[in-house]
Amino acid sequence: MMWFAKDPVLMAASACATLPFLAMAVILIFTRQHRRVSAAISLSAITMCLLSAVYLLMTLRHAPGPVQYQWAWIISSDMIIPFGFLLDRLSLLMLTIVAVIAFLVQVYSLGYMAGDPGFSRYYAFQSLFAWAMMTMVIAPGMLQLYIFWELVGLASYLLIGFYYEKWSASQAGKKAFVMTRLGDIGFFLGIIAVLLGFGDLGILSMNEAAQAHKIAPFVVTLSSLLIFCGVVGKSAQFPLLTWLPDAMEGPTPVSALLHSATMVAAGVYMMSRIFPFFAASPDAMAVALAIGTITMLLASTMAMVTHDIKQVWAYSTVSQLGFMVMALASGGYFAGVFHLTTHAGFKALLFLCSGIFIHEFHTNDMREIGRGGGRKLTIPMVCMTVGALALAGIFPLSGFFSKEAIMGVLAGNPNKIWLLAGLLGALMTAYYSFRLIFMILFPREQTHGAEAHGSHGHDDHGHEEGHHGATFWAMAWPVMILAGITLVLGFFQKELEHYLLGAGPALHGAEAHGEGAGHGLGHYVLLFSAVSLALGGIVWAWFEFGRKKATQEGFLRRYPKVEALFANRWYMDHFYRWLVDYVVYCGFTNLFTRNDRRVIDGGIDGICRFTVGSGRVASFLQSGMLQYNLVLMVAGAGALVLFFVL
Amino acid sequence: MNSLTVYLVVGAVLFSLGLFGVLMRRNLIGMLISIELMLNGANLNFMAFNRFLAPEPAVGQIVTLFVMGIAAAEAAIGLSIILALFRYLHSINVERARRLEG
Repeated sequence: MMWFAKDPVLMAASACATLPFLAMAVILIFTRQHRRVSAAISLSAITMCLLSAVYLLMTLRHAPGPVQYQWAWIISSDMIIPFGFLLDRLSLLMLTIVAVIAFLVQVYSLGYMAGDPGFSRYYAFQSLFAWAMMTMVIAPGMLQLYIFWELVGLASYLLIGFYYEKWSASQAGKKAFVMTRLGDIGFFLGIIAVLLGFGDLGILSMNEAAQAHKIAPFVVTLSSLLIFCGVVGKSAQFPLLTWLPDAMEGPTPVSALLHSATMVAAGVYMMSRIFPFFAASPDAMAVALAIGTITMLLASTMAMVTHDIKQVWAYSTVSQLGFMVMALASGGYFAGVFHLTTHAGFKALLFLCSGIFIHEFHTNDMREIGRGGGRKLTIPMVCMTVGALALAGIFPLSGFFSKEAIMGVLAGNPNKIWLLAGLLGALMTAYYSFRLIFMILFPREQTHGAEAHGSHGHDDHGHEEGHHGATFWAMAWPVMILAGITLVLGFFQKELEHYLLGAGPALHGAEAHGEGAGHGLGHYVLLFSAVSLALGGIVWAWFEFGRKKATQEGFLRRYPKVEALFANRWYMDHFYRWLVDYVVYCGFTNLFTRNDRRVIDGGIDGICRFTVGSGRVASFLQSGMLQYNLVLMVAGAGALVLFFVL
Repeated sequence: MNSLTVYLVVGAVLFSLGLFGVLMRRNLIGMLISIELMLNGANLNFMAFNRFLAPEPAVGQIVTLFVMGIAAAEAAIGLSIILALFRYLHSINVERARRLEG
């Protein structure tokens, strides 16, 4: 153990990769009955991880190259599968993000989950989630990454379906798990393709070899596309995006964690992790760009019509993830990672704020929250507005800087349609986020229907009013910290860019392509148009939802068919239902059932029937008459004698 | 026709009669008697060969004595089986004992 203690870096990395798991095990095995002890164990584990992550970031900030600890796990002739830690600039940045968000969410949960019967279980799963994500982040090889990637999926399944007594929650958990698994099949096939085509699953060696064109181009394209399937599933890209809005069934802090630093971020992180590998295949990049754009636009339209406060943020997550994929796919490594970083901050902020509202008013409907007096909760209201401004990309919040970086990258693309799509997305983002803010700030009287629903909300509100004790502050502090991060993070763009790209000469080539075109005069035109579009979106939302005479119906109310299309998620869930019903159940299942009944069962039955039948035929010989047997015996003996004598 | 052939023919006739009896009689006692006939046919063969061909004249006689002893034991066991069967079936007709019919 001495070597272990001599190397504090290794010790810190191992702490991140073990402590939360130990916390989970201890909570599940020993302290399920003692909720305070469980929370303390989980919180101290994540605090240790946070300290370790910050220590690692500080120590290795100026390290010349990646620090790698790895032990060969499987070696078979040319094939090497390592297991260990890879600490480079990207993984350390992500590790810190995950640790910070997970820590804040766990603190917040002290208030949000207070009094829940599953409190200990909740903290155990939170620890599992943090552990899986952090170990995935510092994985040096694709197989380790894949294993922890699946564990992240498992943890989010457990947390989405946390209120498992509720039918919709258990269904949502199942949906999330199955849909992400669908993408993961592609991911795993991609890993196998890399293994067959290259023979080494180490991330660094994969990236180097792909950049130096040592791998056959079709292997790179094929495996990139297959691995991208995993990103599509995990980061809720088109066509597997419908699980994320349903994942709202879990407790709100879980949504915050799931939407910002873990789970959905895992997909984008993995894509940036093997970014040079992806970049070596222009075809895969083009496909990713198209999918990111489609996702971004579809999700924005969906967010424009929903009234569920969490669902608006869920759709916005999907569309921001689309932005990140677009940025990465058009070569903007830094822009993608930067947006991932800022998004983690402000999306966690938005969800945690909504969590306070939901905790207070016991409803997810933004109209009811507005009527119940949402504007009186000053701290979350201000913080949520900050988050929404960041989401819309307004100066000087973090979202502004990262979105500008993405626009710069998109502008560098010769095909301007991607840039136009991005600008349209920015407009819609501003519109839907301020639609929500204005609806809560300026509530209107009930227009029609849902009367009983409204009064129900008011009752709960009265019941909870004097509830501003430690519970409230446990929720308010993380929110304020995140708001602070959102306010200042954008100004560290240059430092972050320098930090991330400083040591990666391989990345510079790809980056220069995107950034070079963005600078200069065109850059300012772009900046101006993006910001004015975002402001335009806000003004538009003000016009329809904010001002005194506003109907709060939205322009889409005038096009009921379009609204229905958006509200039904472009009928994607209907399509999947149809697909499952008609293709899977009627097609495959029917076929397999028939095969089972007719061919397999029939075959076994046939063999049985043949045996019984032939036995029945043979049993005619067995008459039970002693003397027949004797006759046959004598005849047999006679035949033998004849045979030997003659 | 020398005398050995005569003995052998008589033995074969005895054996065949016994075999016929075993196969055709439905009465278990009759079958037992027929088996005795077959054994005696075999004994006659042993004695004939012993008398005319064997270099050591005692061997055939010893075998014949053995066969007679075994025949006595066999009769005792066969009769007791028949007795048990009669108690069970109230009959000594072999056709009644058909429990093994397939």
